[in-house]
Amino acid sequence: MADWNNQAPIYLQLADRLSQALLDGAPPEGEAMPSVRVLAAEYGLNPLTVNRALQSMVDAGLLESRRGLGMFVLPQASERLRAFERERFLNTEWPALAAKLQRLGITPADLIWPTKDDAA
Amino acid sequence: MNQLVNIDNLSVSYGAKTAVNNVSFALPTGRIIGLLGSNGAGKTSLMQAMMGLIPFRGQINILGFDPRTQRDAMLQHVCYIPDVAILPPWIEVQQLLQLMSGLHPKFDRELALQKLARTTIKLDSKVKQLSRGMIVQLHLAIISAIDAQLMILDEPTLGLDIPARKAFYDMLISDWCNETRTVLIATHQIDEIENLLSDVMMINDGALVLHDQLCNLEDRYIGLRYGSEHSAAIATAAPLHCFRQMGGECAIFAAPFPSELAQFGQTFRVELADLFVALSQGERHATV
Repeated sequence: MADWNNQAPIYLQLADRLSQALLDGAPPEGEAMPSVRVLAAEYGLNPLTVNRALQSMVDAGLLESRRGLGMFVLPQASERLRAFERERFLNTEWPALAAKLQRLGITPADLIWPTKDDAA
Repeated sequence: MNQLVNIDNLSVSYGAKTAVNNVSFALPTGRIIGLLGSNGAGKTSLMQAMMGLIPFRGQINILGFDPRTQRDAMLQHVCYIPDVAILPPWIEVQQLLQLMSGLHPKFDRELALQKLARTTIKLDSKVKQLSRGMIVQLHLAIISAIDAQLMILDEPTLGLDIPARKAFYDMLISDWCNETRTVLIATHQIDEIENLLSDVMMINDGALVLHDQLCNLEDRYIGLRYGSEHSAAIATAAPLHCFRQMGGECAIFAAPFPSELAQFGQTFRVELADLFVALSQGERHATV
């Protein structure tokens, strides 16, 4: 069973995990999400919690509910997710990181920017 | 709301001892409800009264049936595994299925066979040859093949190892639960089952001290991890319960939360196990 922290509601943590999986193309855009029952058993969660997580992803424009068929990944899901993540990084993570860099006296010249080859 | 169970002013006594003390609640469809309580708190008595197995005062209505007078009709829609469930040791699994087919009009033998096929239980094994975990799986395969609306389980995972418990939770979620069925499950394995539950009931000394949906608890209770230098301030803020965890001081507060909490430390979502201790050992809390 999955580990959950006690800082955020479980449904948001599940939505977060499912969103990370979408960024990795699982499932790909346009494809169906696993059913509530499958997700509930896989993550050891109550189906109502899973429903709530999926609903929050619908509200975020990542999934759509098709009557009688279940949830599907919307075409621009990963684009939207990347936009959210960028915003989150620039607004919350970067200011903290920048402050730390300044405290440590690290300048842009000290940083090694990964090239395409390193990332691969 | 569609209520499967309605209980009003239920009390159960054994001589001078009151096991269940004037309890009232309703259970809707589509829920997995955890019934938590210390040993002797009244969980088993509550379940036995619901099944019409022991005398009680007050009203119990299960799917429109009174367990005192309409028990046979009620049992067609309810399945129950007591904590002392015993299958005859000499019976073979296939004989048991045959027996069930004759006993219960809503028992689906094919479905039970399908469920058993996913376990390591052999049809020609006798019950006495099965491990404790296999016996629980057999029990669950049998009752989950009953097309019932209410499942009542008293300590179903007692004595099971981790894989068997996981298999049990899996079977419950993926095979049995749906929007029209409800499970009431008494357990001490609070941390394992917490996230499977939609609702929780806590019983202490025969009284219902908490009954709510899990998603509402965050608004009712909050945890705070604080530095010991704030101990005096925390004490005056009247926490429900204080405890130490991983070398830190923690406190649980009931709503309405003191507004200045965040300045003393980090707030967190209270786990059921800690809430259980808070409500069963702390001051009696009359908010159901």
